[in-house]
Amino acid sequence: MVLDLEHFAVPRTGILAVVGHNGAGKSTLLRLLALLEAPTEGQVLWNGAVVPRRTPAALRRRVTLVEQRPILFRGTVRDNLVYGLEVRGIGRTAVNGIIGDVVDRLGLQTLLGRRRHELSDGEVQRVAVARALALRPDVLLLDEPASSADRAAAGALYRALVAERMARPLAVCIASHQLEDAYRWADDIRALAEGRLSPVTPENLFRVDLPAGDGVKNARVGNVDIVVLTDRTGPAVLAIPPTDIFVSRERLPSSARNVLTGRVRGMAIERFGAGVHVRADVGGVELVAAITAEAARDLALAPGGAVVFSFKATAVRVF
Amino acid sequence: MDFLAEAFRRAWGLLVAGDSEVYGIALLTLKVAVVATVISCVVGLPLGYFLATRRFWGRRAALTVVNTALAFPTVVVGLLLYGLLSRRGPLGGLGWLYTWQAIVIGDVLLALPIAAALSAAAIQGVDPRIRRTAETLGAGSWRTAWTVAREARFALAAVITAAFGQVVAEIGAAMIVGGNIRGSTRTLTTAVALYTSQGDFGLALALGLVLLLLALVVNIALQMLQGRGSG
Repeated sequence: MVLDLEHFAVPRTGILAVVGHNGAGKSTLLRLLALLEAPTEGQVLWNGAVVPRRTPAALRRRVTLVEQRPILFRGTVRDNLVYGLEVRGIGRTAVNGIIGDVVDRLGLQTLLGRRRHELSDGEVQRVAVARALALRPDVLLLDEPASSADRAAAGALYRALVAERMARPLAVCIASHQLEDAYRWADDIRALAEGRLSPVTPENLFRVDLPAGDGVKNARVGNVDIVVLTDRTGPAVLAIPPTDIFVSRERLPSSARNVLTGRVRGMAIERFGAGVHVRADVGGVELVAAITAEAARDLALAPGGAVVFSFKATAVRVF
Repeated sequence: MDFLAEAFRRAWGLLVAGDSEVYGIALLTLKVAVVATVISCVVGLPLGYFLATRRFWGRRAALTVVNTALAFPTVVVGLLLYGLLSRRGPLGGLGWLYTWQAIVIGDVLLALPIAAALSAAAIQGVDPRIRRTAETLGAGSWRTAWTVAREARFALAAVITAAFGQVVAEIGAAMIVGGNIRGSTRTLTTAVALYTSQGDFGLALALGLVLLLLALVVNIALQMLQGRGSG
Protein backbone atom coordinates (compact mmCIF):
# COMPACT_ATOMS: atom_id res chain seq x y z
CA MET A 1 0.00 0.00 0.00
CA VAL A 2 1.41 3.33 -0.99
CA LEU A 3 -0.76 5.65 1.07
CA ASP A 4 -2.75 5.07 4.20
CA LEU A 5 -4.41 8.29 5.24
CA GLU A 6 -7.43 8.84 7.40
CA HIS A 7 -7.74 12.47 6.58
CA PHE A 8 -5.67 15.01 4.71
CA ALA A 9 -6.80 18.51 3.91
CA VAL A 10 -5.34 21.32 1.87
CA PRO A 11 -6.60 24.66 3.23
CA ARG A 12 -8.38 27.07 0.90
CA THR A 13 -5.48 29.46 0.89
CA GLY A 14 -1.89 29.23 2.02
CA ILE A 15 1.23 27.22 1.39
CA LEU A 16 1.24 23.72 2.82
CA ALA A 17 4.42 21.67 2.69
CA VAL A 18 4.38 17.90 2.79
CA VAL A 19 7.76 16.64 3.84
CA GLY A 20 9.17 13.15 3.78
CA HIS A 21 11.84 10.89 2.39
CA ASN A 22 11.71 9.60 -1.17
CA GLY A 23 9.19 6.82 -1.40
CA ALA A 24 7.10 8.15 1.47
CA GLY A 25 4.09 8.56 -0.81
CA LYS A 26 4.26 12.29 -1.53
CA SER A 27 3.95 12.01 -5.30
CA THR A 28 0.97 9.69 -5.03
CA LEU A 29 -0.71 12.07 -2.59
CA LEU A 30 -0.24 14.95 -5.00
CA ARG A 31 -1.66 12.97 -7.89
CA LEU A 32 -4.75 12.17 -5.83
CA LEU A 33 -5.13 15.83 -4.90
CA ALA A 34 -4.71 16.77 -8.56
CA LEU A 35 -7.72 14.56 -9.37
CA LEU A 36 -5.57 12.62 -11.82
CA GLU A 37 -6.00 9.36 -9.97
CA ALA A 38 -8.80 8.03 -7.83
CA PRO A 39 -8.09 6.40 -4.47
CA THR A 40 -8.62 2.63 -4.29
CA GLU A 41 -10.55 3.22 -1.07
CA GLY A 42 -12.03 6.38 0.32
CA GLN A 43 -12.88 9.66 -1.33
CA VAL A 44 -11.55 12.98 -2.42
CA LEU A 45 -13.66 16.00 -1.47
CA TRP A 46 -13.67 19.43 -3.05
CA ASN A 47 -15.21 22.07 -0.81
CA GLY A 48 -17.00 19.27 1.00
CA ALA A 49 -18.50 17.67 -2.10
CA VAL A 50 -17.37 14.22 -3.20
CA VAL A 51 -15.41 14.24 -6.45
CA PRO A 52 -16.74 11.59 -8.85
CA ARG A 53 -14.31 9.02 -10.24
CA ARG A 54 -14.60 10.45 -13.73
CA THR A 55 -13.66 13.95 -12.72
CA PRO A 56 -15.39 16.59 -14.83
CA ALA A 57 -12.90 18.63 -16.87
CA ALA A 58 -14.20 21.88 -15.42
CA LEU A 59 -13.17 20.77 -11.95
CA ARG A 60 -9.86 19.34 -13.05
CA ARG A 61 -9.03 22.71 -14.57
CA ARG A 62 -9.04 24.31 -11.17
CA VAL A 63 -6.25 22.10 -9.89
CA THR A 64 -2.84 21.93 -11.54
CA LEU A 65 0.07 19.66 -10.74
CA VAL A 66 3.71 20.21 -11.61
CA GLU A 67 5.49 16.85 -11.55
CA GLN A 68 8.86 16.14 -10.03
CA ARG A 69 10.53 15.69 -13.40
CA PRO A 70 8.19 17.70 -15.58
CA ILE A 71 8.03 17.23 -19.31
CA LEU A 72 7.56 19.99 -21.83
CA PHE A 73 5.64 19.54 -25.06
CA ARG A 74 7.23 19.73 -28.48
CA GLY A 75 7.65 23.32 -29.53
CA THR A 76 9.09 26.40 -27.89
CA VAL A 77 8.91 27.45 -24.27
CA ARG A 78 6.31 30.00 -25.29
CA ASP A 79 4.18 27.30 -26.92
CA ASN A 80 4.27 25.44 -23.64
CA LEU A 81 3.29 28.45 -21.58
CA VAL A 82 0.39 29.11 -23.91
CA TYR A 83 -0.90 25.52 -23.95
CA GLY A 84 -3.24 25.57 -20.98
CA LEU A 85 -4.54 29.01 -21.91
CA GLU A 86 -5.38 27.87 -25.42
CA VAL A 87 -7.15 24.82 -24.03
CA ARG A 88 -9.37 27.21 -22.07
CA GLY A 89 -10.07 29.26 -25.17
CA ILE A 90 -8.49 32.46 -23.90
CA GLY A 91 -8.06 35.15 -26.53
CA ARG A 92 -4.73 36.25 -28.02
CA THR A 93 -4.45 39.62 -26.27
CA ALA A 94 -5.24 38.23 -22.86
CA VAL A 95 -2.78 35.39 -23.46
CA ASN A 96 0.03 37.80 -24.29
CA GLY A 97 -0.63 39.75 -21.12
CA ILE A 98 -0.64 36.64 -18.92
CA ILE A 99 2.47 35.22 -20.52
CA GLY A 100 4.32 38.50 -20.14
CA ASP A 101 3.49 38.63 -16.46
CA VAL A 102 4.52 35.06 -15.70
CA VAL A 103 7.72 35.38 -17.74
CA ASP A 104 8.74 38.40 -15.71
CA ARG A 105 8.03 36.75 -12.41
CA LEU A 106 10.06 33.66 -13.16
CA GLY A 107 12.77 35.26 -15.27
CA LEU A 108 12.14 33.33 -18.46
CA GLN A 109 12.74 36.15 -20.95
CA THR A 110 15.81 34.57 -22.54
CA LEU A 111 14.22 31.14 -22.77
CA LEU A 112 11.03 31.91 -24.66
CA GLY A 113 12.19 30.76 -28.09
CA ARG A 114 14.04 27.67 -26.94
CA ARG A 115 12.93 24.09 -27.30
CA ARG A 116 12.95 21.46 -24.60
CA HIS A 117 16.21 19.83 -25.58
CA GLU A 118 17.93 23.20 -25.30
CA LEU A 119 17.05 23.66 -21.63
CA SER A 120 18.72 22.51 -18.44
CA ASP A 121 16.73 20.53 -15.87
CA GLY A 122 16.37 23.59 -13.68
CA GLU A 123 15.08 25.64 -16.60
CA VAL A 124 12.58 22.94 -17.54
CA GLN A 125 11.29 22.97 -13.97
CA ARG A 126 10.92 26.75 -13.98
CA VAL A 127 9.06 26.67 -17.27
CA ALA A 128 6.76 23.95 -15.95
CA VAL A 129 5.94 26.02 -12.86
CA ALA A 130 5.35 29.09 -15.04
CA ARG A 131 3.12 27.04 -17.28
CA ALA A 132 1.00 26.08 -14.28
CA LEU A 133 0.97 29.56 -12.72
CA ALA A 134 -0.21 31.10 -15.98
CA LEU A 135 -3.45 29.18 -15.57
CA ARG A 136 -4.25 30.81 -12.22
CA PRO A 137 -5.59 27.59 -10.74
CA ASP A 138 -7.38 27.50 -7.40
CA VAL A 139 -5.03 24.78 -6.22
CA LEU A 140 -1.41 24.46 -7.27
CA LEU A 141 0.46 21.27 -6.44
CA LEU A 142 4.21 21.08 -6.79
CA ASP A 143 6.28 17.93 -6.48
CA GLU A 144 9.84 18.84 -5.47
CA PRO A 145 9.75 22.18 -7.32
CA ALA A 146 13.28 23.14 -6.39
CA SER A 147 15.00 19.79 -6.82
CA SER A 148 16.85 20.81 -9.98
CA ALA A 149 17.40 24.44 -9.10
CA ASP A 150 20.34 26.10 -7.43
CA ARG A 151 19.65 28.01 -4.23
CA ALA A 152 19.11 31.34 -5.97
CA ALA A 153 16.67 29.94 -8.50
CA ALA A 154 14.82 28.03 -5.78
CA GLY A 155 14.44 31.24 -3.81
CA ALA A 156 13.07 33.06 -6.85
CA LEU A 157 10.61 30.27 -7.46
CA TYR A 158 9.29 30.27 -3.89
CA ARG A 159 9.09 34.06 -3.85
CA ALA A 160 6.96 33.91 -6.98
CA LEU A 161 4.62 31.46 -5.25
CA VAL A 162 4.32 33.62 -2.16
CA ALA A 163 3.68 36.68 -4.34
CA GLU A 164 0.95 34.82 -6.21
CA ARG A 165 -0.64 33.78 -2.94
CA MET A 166 -0.59 37.35 -1.67
CA ALA A 167 -2.25 38.54 -4.87
CA ARG A 168 -5.21 36.19 -4.76
CA PRO A 169 -6.63 33.27 -2.77
CA LEU A 170 -4.51 30.31 -3.77
CA ALA A 171 -3.94 26.93 -2.17
CA VAL A 172 -0.43 25.65 -2.69
CA CYS A 173 0.74 22.23 -1.64
CA ILE A 174 4.42 21.44 -2.04
CA ALA A 175 5.97 18.04 -1.63
CA SER A 176 9.61 18.25 -0.69
CA HIS A 177 12.34 16.40 1.11
CA GLN A 178 14.09 19.67 1.91
CA LEU A 179 13.05 20.72 5.38
CA GLU A 180 14.71 24.10 5.17
CA ASP A 181 12.59 25.20 2.24
CA ALA A 182 9.51 24.07 4.14
CA TYR A 183 10.52 26.08 7.22
CA ARG A 184 11.21 29.21 5.27
CA TRP A 185 8.34 29.33 2.85
CA ALA A 186 5.44 27.24 4.09
CA ASP A 187 2.65 28.36 6.39
CA ASP A 188 2.17 24.82 7.63
CA ILE A 189 4.06 21.54 7.43
CA ARG A 190 2.91 17.91 7.40
CA ALA A 191 5.20 14.93 7.41
CA LEU A 192 4.63 11.75 5.48
CA ALA A 193 6.50 8.54 6.24
CA GLU A 194 5.78 5.11 4.77
CA GLY A 195 2.51 6.41 3.40
CA ARG A 196 1.23 7.62 6.73
CA LEU A 197 0.96 11.04 8.30
CA SER A 198 3.39 11.60 11.09
CA PRO A 199 1.60 12.92 14.17
CA VAL A 200 4.57 15.12 15.00
CA THR A 201 6.67 17.65 13.15
CA PRO A 202 8.63 16.23 10.26
CA GLU A 203 12.17 16.31 11.50
CA ASN A 204 14.04 13.40 12.94
CA LEU A 205 12.07 10.66 11.25
CA PHE A 206 13.79 7.31 10.95
CA ARG A 207 12.81 3.89 9.66
CA VAL A 208 13.87 1.21 12.09
CA ASP A 209 13.43 -2.45 12.84
CA LEU A 210 12.35 -2.78 16.44
CA PRO A 211 13.59 -5.84 18.32
CA ALA A 212 11.17 -8.16 20.05
CA GLY A 213 10.04 -7.59 23.61
CA ASP A 214 8.12 -5.05 25.65
CA GLY A 215 9.32 -1.87 27.22
CA VAL A 216 12.70 -0.25 26.88
CA LYS A 217 14.67 -1.26 23.82
CA ASN A 218 17.41 -0.09 21.47
CA ALA A 219 16.60 0.83 17.92
CA ARG A 220 19.47 1.09 15.49
CA VAL A 221 19.65 4.24 13.37
CA GLY A 222 22.83 4.32 11.29
CA ASN A 223 25.71 3.94 13.72
CA VAL A 224 23.68 5.07 16.68
CA ASP A 225 21.38 3.28 19.11
CA ILE A 226 18.25 5.16 20.11
CA VAL A 227 16.70 4.06 23.36
CA VAL A 228 12.93 3.95 23.05
CA LEU A 229 10.04 2.79 25.17
CA THR A 230 7.50 0.77 23.21
CA ASP A 231 5.81 -2.59 22.97
CA ARG A 232 5.92 -2.61 19.18
CA THR A 233 8.25 -4.83 17.23
CA GLY A 234 9.34 -5.07 13.65
CA PRO A 235 9.45 -2.28 11.06
CA ALA A 236 8.35 1.08 12.39
CA VAL A 237 9.06 4.78 12.13
CA LEU A 238 10.63 6.74 14.98
CA ALA A 239 10.06 10.45 15.38
CA ILE A 240 12.00 12.57 17.87
CA PRO A 241 10.30 15.94 18.30
CA PRO A 242 12.97 18.64 18.02
CA THR A 243 11.42 20.51 20.92
CA ASP A 244 12.11 17.55 23.20
CA ILE A 245 15.85 17.53 22.60
CA PHE A 246 18.11 19.24 25.13
CA VAL A 247 21.15 20.91 23.69
CA SER A 248 24.36 21.38 25.67
CA ARG A 249 28.08 21.87 25.06
CA GLU A 250 29.03 18.83 27.08
CA ARG A 251 27.50 15.71 28.60
CA LEU A 252 25.26 16.48 31.57
CA PRO A 253 24.22 13.95 34.16
CA SER A 254 20.47 13.49 33.80
CA SER A 255 17.70 10.93 33.50
CA ALA A 256 17.81 11.06 29.71
CA ARG A 257 18.59 7.65 28.25
CA ASN A 258 19.71 9.13 24.96
CA VAL A 259 22.84 11.23 25.11
CA LEU A 260 24.47 11.76 21.75
CA THR A 261 27.58 13.78 21.02
CA GLY A 262 28.37 15.31 17.68
CA ARG A 263 29.08 18.46 15.72
CA VAL A 264 26.81 21.30 14.69
CA ARG A 265 26.13 21.21 10.95
CA GLY A 266 23.98 24.30 10.63
CA MET A 267 21.41 26.50 12.23
CA ALA A 268 18.20 27.83 10.73
CA ILE A 269 16.09 30.60 12.12
CA GLU A 270 12.40 29.79 12.35
CA ARG A 271 9.89 31.63 10.23
CA PHE A 272 8.88 34.14 12.87
CA GLY A 273 12.30 34.45 14.39
CA ALA A 274 11.72 33.22 17.93
CA GLY A 275 13.34 29.85 17.60
CA VAL A 276 16.38 28.25 16.11
CA HIS A 277 16.66 24.81 14.58
CA VAL A 278 20.04 23.30 15.28
CA ARG A 279 21.17 20.55 12.94
CA ALA A 280 23.88 18.26 14.21
CA ASP A 281 25.69 15.18 13.03
CA VAL A 282 25.71 12.69 15.87
CA GLY A 283 27.56 9.54 14.96
CA GLY A 284 26.62 9.80 11.29
CA VAL A 285 22.95 10.55 11.94
CA GLU A 286 21.52 14.01 11.43
CA LEU A 287 19.25 15.29 14.19
CA VAL A 288 17.43 18.58 14.56
CA ALA A 289 16.78 20.26 17.89
CA ALA A 290 14.59 23.31 18.40
CA ILE A 291 15.63 25.85 21.00
CA THR A 292 15.04 29.53 21.61
CA ALA A 293 17.24 32.07 19.90
CA GLU A 294 18.33 33.29 23.29
CA ALA A 295 19.45 29.83 24.34
CA ALA A 296 21.39 29.46 21.12
CA ARG A 297 23.21 32.70 21.88
CA ASP A 298 23.92 31.71 25.48
CA LEU A 299 25.40 28.41 24.38
CA ALA A 300 27.45 30.19 21.70
CA LEU A 301 26.63 27.47 19.20
CA ALA A 302 28.32 27.65 15.83
CA PRO A 303 28.68 25.33 12.84
CA GLY A 304 31.49 22.87 13.40
CA GLY A 305 31.35 23.20 17.15
CA ALA A 306 30.91 20.26 19.49
CA VAL A 307 27.41 19.70 20.84
CA VAL A 308 25.51 17.17 22.89
CA PHE A 309 21.87 16.25 22.21
CA SER A 310 19.97 14.59 25.04
CA PHE A 311 16.43 13.28 25.13
CA LYS A 312 14.38 10.79 27.11
CA ALA A 313 13.35 7.39 25.81
CA THR A 314 9.73 8.42 26.38
CA ALA A 315 10.17 11.43 24.11
CA VAL A 316 10.65 9.18 21.11
CA ARG A 317 7.37 8.63 19.24
CA VAL A 318 6.83 5.35 17.47
CA PHE A 319 4.30 4.92 14.67
CA MET B 1 21.43 -10.79 -72.74
CA ASP B 2 19.85 -9.50 -75.99
CA PHE B 3 16.43 -10.29 -74.62
CA LEU B 4 16.99 -8.15 -71.53
CA ALA B 5 18.67 -5.32 -73.41
CA GLU B 6 15.79 -5.23 -75.92
CA ALA B 7 13.24 -5.24 -73.08
CA PHE B 8 15.00 -2.36 -71.34
CA ARG B 9 15.05 -0.35 -74.55
CA ARG B 10 11.31 -0.89 -75.06
CA ALA B 11 10.56 -0.04 -71.44
CA TRP B 12 12.63 3.13 -71.56
CA GLY B 13 10.91 4.16 -74.79
CA LEU B 14 7.45 3.68 -73.29
CA LEU B 15 8.31 5.67 -70.17
CA VAL B 16 9.91 8.57 -71.98
CA ALA B 17 7.14 8.80 -74.54
CA GLY B 18 4.52 8.98 -71.77
CA ASP B 19 2.74 5.91 -73.06
CA SER B 20 -0.93 6.26 -72.12
CA GLU B 21 -1.27 2.59 -71.20
CA VAL B 22 1.58 2.72 -68.71
CA TYR B 23 0.64 6.01 -67.16
CA GLY B 24 -3.03 5.17 -67.12
CA ILE B 25 -2.29 2.05 -65.11
CA ALA B 26 0.02 4.03 -62.81
CA LEU B 27 -2.65 6.64 -62.16
CA LEU B 28 -5.29 4.04 -61.41
CA THR B 29 -2.91 2.37 -58.98
CA LEU B 30 -2.26 5.71 -57.28
CA LYS B 31 -5.95 6.48 -57.07
CA VAL B 32 -6.74 3.14 -55.46
CA ALA B 33 -3.76 3.35 -53.13
CA VAL B 34 -4.51 6.88 -51.95
CA VAL B 35 -8.18 6.17 -51.28
CA ALA B 36 -7.39 2.91 -49.47
CA THR B 37 -4.65 4.58 -47.40
CA VAL B 38 -6.90 7.45 -46.41
CA ILE B 39 -9.75 5.17 -45.34
CA SER B 40 -7.55 2.72 -43.47
CA CYS B 41 -5.74 5.53 -41.64
CA VAL B 42 -8.82 7.52 -40.78
CA VAL B 43 -10.16 4.37 -39.12
CA GLY B 44 -6.89 2.77 -38.09
CA LEU B 45 -5.03 5.64 -36.39
CA PRO B 46 -7.77 6.49 -33.89
CA LEU B 47 -8.28 2.77 -33.35
CA GLY B 48 -4.59 2.44 -32.58
CA TYR B 49 -4.77 5.34 -30.13
CA PHE B 50 -7.74 3.75 -28.44
CA LEU B 51 -5.98 0.39 -28.16
CA ALA B 52 -2.88 2.04 -26.78
CA THR B 53 -4.47 4.24 -24.15
CA ARG B 54 -7.77 2.86 -22.93
CA ARG B 55 -7.94 0.03 -20.47
CA PHE B 56 -10.87 -2.14 -21.39
CA TRP B 57 -11.76 -5.76 -20.96
CA GLY B 58 -10.44 -7.69 -23.95
CA ARG B 59 -7.76 -5.16 -24.76
CA ARG B 60 -5.02 -7.73 -24.92
CA ALA B 61 -7.12 -9.95 -27.16
CA ALA B 62 -7.87 -7.03 -29.47
CA LEU B 63 -4.19 -6.15 -29.75
CA THR B 64 -3.35 -9.77 -30.51
CA VAL B 65 -6.01 -9.97 -33.21
CA VAL B 66 -4.74 -6.79 -34.85
CA ASN B 67 -1.14 -7.95 -34.73
CA THR B 68 -2.07 -11.35 -36.15
CA ALA B 69 -4.01 -9.70 -38.98
CA LEU B 70 -0.71 -8.13 -40.01
CA ALA B 71 0.38 -11.55 -41.18
CA PHE B 72 -2.61 -12.25 -43.45
CA PRO B 73 -1.48 -13.17 -46.97
CA THR B 74 -2.90 -10.70 -49.46
CA VAL B 75 -4.29 -13.43 -51.68
CA VAL B 76 -6.27 -14.88 -48.77
CA VAL B 77 -7.81 -11.47 -48.06
CA GLY B 78 -8.71 -11.30 -51.75
CA LEU B 79 -10.18 -14.77 -51.60
CA LEU B 80 -12.38 -14.03 -48.58
CA LEU B 81 -13.52 -10.73 -50.06
CA TYR B 82 -14.37 -12.49 -53.32
CA GLY B 83 -16.54 -14.87 -51.37
CA LEU B 84 -18.45 -11.92 -49.92
CA LEU B 85 -18.76 -9.89 -53.09
CA SER B 86 -19.46 -12.56 -55.71
CA ARG B 87 -23.00 -12.80 -57.05
CA ARG B 88 -23.65 -15.91 -55.03
CA GLY B 89 -22.21 -14.31 -51.90
CA PRO B 90 -23.97 -12.26 -49.17
CA LEU B 91 -22.92 -8.88 -50.60
CA GLY B 92 -23.29 -9.93 -54.24
CA GLY B 93 -26.25 -7.64 -54.73
CA LEU B 94 -23.99 -4.61 -54.47
CA GLY B 95 -22.29 -5.53 -57.71
CA TRP B 96 -18.89 -4.44 -56.50
CA LEU B 97 -16.91 -7.40 -57.72
CA TYR B 98 -14.37 -6.58 -60.44
CA THR B 99 -14.51 -2.85 -59.77
CA TRP B 100 -11.77 -0.56 -58.46
CA GLN B 101 -13.91 -0.07 -55.34
CA ALA B 102 -13.51 -3.78 -54.58
CA ILE B 103 -9.74 -3.39 -54.76
CA VAL B 104 -9.99 -0.45 -52.37
CA ILE B 105 -11.97 -2.57 -49.91
CA GLY B 106 -9.40 -5.34 -50.13
CA ASP B 107 -6.56 -2.89 -49.65
CA VAL B 108 -8.28 -1.30 -46.68
CA LEU B 109 -8.59 -4.73 -45.08
CA LEU B 110 -4.87 -5.21 -45.62
CA ALA B 111 -3.78 -1.77 -44.47
CA LEU B 112 -6.07 -1.43 -41.46
CA PRO B 113 -4.07 -3.81 -39.23
CA ILE B 114 -0.92 -1.94 -40.19
CA ALA B 115 -2.47 1.40 -39.34
CA ALA B 116 -3.92 0.17 -36.05
CA ALA B 117 -1.05 -1.98 -34.76
CA LEU B 118 1.75 0.38 -35.71
CA SER B 119 -0.01 3.51 -34.50
CA ALA B 120 -0.77 1.75 -31.19
CA ALA B 121 2.95 1.05 -30.88
CA ALA B 122 3.79 4.64 -31.78
CA ILE B 123 1.40 6.02 -29.17
CA GLN B 124 2.69 3.64 -26.55
CA GLY B 125 6.14 4.98 -27.30
CA VAL B 126 5.17 8.46 -26.19
CA ASP B 127 6.32 9.42 -22.68
CA PRO B 128 3.36 8.79 -20.33
CA ARG B 129 4.05 12.10 -18.64
CA ILE B 130 2.79 13.88 -21.77
CA ARG B 131 -0.72 12.57 -21.24
CA ARG B 132 -0.71 13.37 -17.50
CA THR B 133 0.64 16.85 -18.19
CA ALA B 134 -1.98 17.57 -20.84
CA GLU B 135 -4.69 16.42 -18.44
CA THR B 136 -3.45 18.42 -15.51
CA LEU B 137 -3.26 21.53 -17.68
CA GLY B 138 -6.96 21.09 -18.33
CA ALA B 139 -7.12 19.35 -21.70
CA GLY B 140 -10.18 17.19 -22.36
CA SER B 141 -9.87 13.74 -23.95
CA TRP B 142 -9.84 14.97 -27.57
CA ARG B 143 -7.28 17.67 -26.93
CA THR B 144 -5.13 15.26 -24.94
CA ALA B 145 -5.26 12.73 -27.78
CA TRP B 146 -4.21 15.43 -30.24
CA THR B 147 -1.33 16.48 -28.00
CA VAL B 148 -0.10 12.90 -27.62
CA ALA B 149 -0.42 12.33 -31.36
CA ARG B 150 1.61 15.47 -32.03
CA GLU B 151 4.40 14.09 -29.92
CA ALA B 152 4.37 10.95 -32.06
CA ARG B 153 3.79 12.76 -35.33
CA PHE B 154 6.82 11.39 -37.15
CA ALA B 155 6.10 7.86 -36.07
CA LEU B 156 2.48 8.29 -37.18
CA ALA B 157 3.56 9.72 -40.53
CA ALA B 158 5.71 6.62 -40.89
CA VAL B 159 2.62 4.48 -40.20
CA ILE B 160 0.70 6.21 -42.99
CA THR B 161 3.63 5.78 -45.33
CA ALA B 162 3.91 2.09 -44.45
CA ALA B 163 0.19 1.58 -45.12
CA PHE B 164 0.57 3.26 -48.49
CA GLY B 165 3.58 1.14 -49.30
CA GLN B 166 1.63 -2.02 -48.55
CA VAL B 167 -1.35 -1.23 -50.75
CA VAL B 168 0.60 0.09 -53.70
CA ALA B 169 2.70 -3.05 -53.96
CA GLU B 170 0.21 -5.83 -53.26
CA ILE B 171 -1.13 -8.13 -55.96
CA GLY B 172 -3.13 -10.85 -54.22
CA ALA B 173 -6.28 -8.91 -53.38
CA ALA B 174 -6.15 -6.70 -56.48
CA MET B 175 -5.94 -9.72 -58.76
CA ILE B 176 -8.76 -11.73 -57.23
CA VAL B 177 -11.41 -9.10 -56.57
CA GLY B 178 -10.30 -6.70 -59.32
CA GLY B 179 -10.12 -9.14 -62.18
CA ASN B 180 -7.33 -7.23 -63.93
CA ILE B 181 -9.73 -5.59 -66.40
CA ARG B 182 -7.99 -3.22 -68.82
CA GLY B 183 -8.79 0.40 -68.09
CA SER B 184 -10.72 -0.18 -64.87
CA THR B 185 -9.04 -2.64 -62.51
CA ARG B 186 -5.62 -3.20 -64.02
CA THR B 187 -3.11 -1.98 -61.45
CA LEU B 188 0.67 -1.85 -61.74
CA THR B 189 1.06 -5.18 -59.96
CA THR B 190 -1.62 -7.10 -61.81
CA ALA B 191 -0.48 -5.62 -65.13
CA VAL B 192 3.12 -6.74 -64.55
CA ALA B 193 1.90 -10.28 -63.87
CA LEU B 194 -0.29 -10.27 -66.99
CA TYR B 195 2.18 -8.83 -69.48
CA THR B 196 5.00 -11.02 -68.29
CA SER B 197 2.86 -14.12 -68.79
CA GLN B 198 1.81 -12.82 -72.22
CA GLY B 199 5.39 -12.33 -73.26
CA ASP B 200 5.47 -8.53 -73.51
CA PHE B 201 8.44 -8.28 -71.19
CA GLY B 202 9.31 -4.72 -72.20
CA LEU B 203 5.91 -3.41 -71.17
CA ALA B 204 6.00 -5.41 -67.96
CA LEU B 205 9.43 -3.97 -67.26
CA ALA B 206 8.23 -0.41 -67.79
CA LEU B 207 5.41 -0.95 -65.34
CA GLY B 208 7.75 -2.70 -62.96
CA LEU B 209 10.14 0.26 -63.00
CA VAL B 210 7.33 2.66 -62.13
CA LEU B 211 6.34 0.37 -59.30
CA LEU B 212 9.93 0.17 -58.15
CA LEU B 213 10.21 3.94 -58.19
CA LEU B 214 7.08 4.23 -56.05
CA ALA B 215 8.39 1.66 -53.61
CA LEU B 216 11.74 3.46 -53.34
CA VAL B 217 10.08 6.82 -52.73
CA VAL B 218 8.00 5.24 -49.98
CA ASN B 219 11.05 3.64 -48.43
CA ILE B 220 13.10 6.83 -48.46
CA ALA B 221 10.21 8.77 -46.97
CA LEU B 222 9.94 6.14 -44.23
CA GLN B 223 13.64 6.35 -43.43
CA MET B 224 13.50 10.11 -43.18
CA LEU B 225 10.41 10.12 -41.01
CA GLN B 226 11.69 7.47 -38.67
CA GLY B 227 15.01 9.26 -38.46
CA ARG B 228 13.41 12.56 -37.53
CA GLY B 229 11.11 10.85 -35.14
CA SER B 230 13.91 9.50 -33.03
CA GLY B 231 15.94 12.71 -33.20
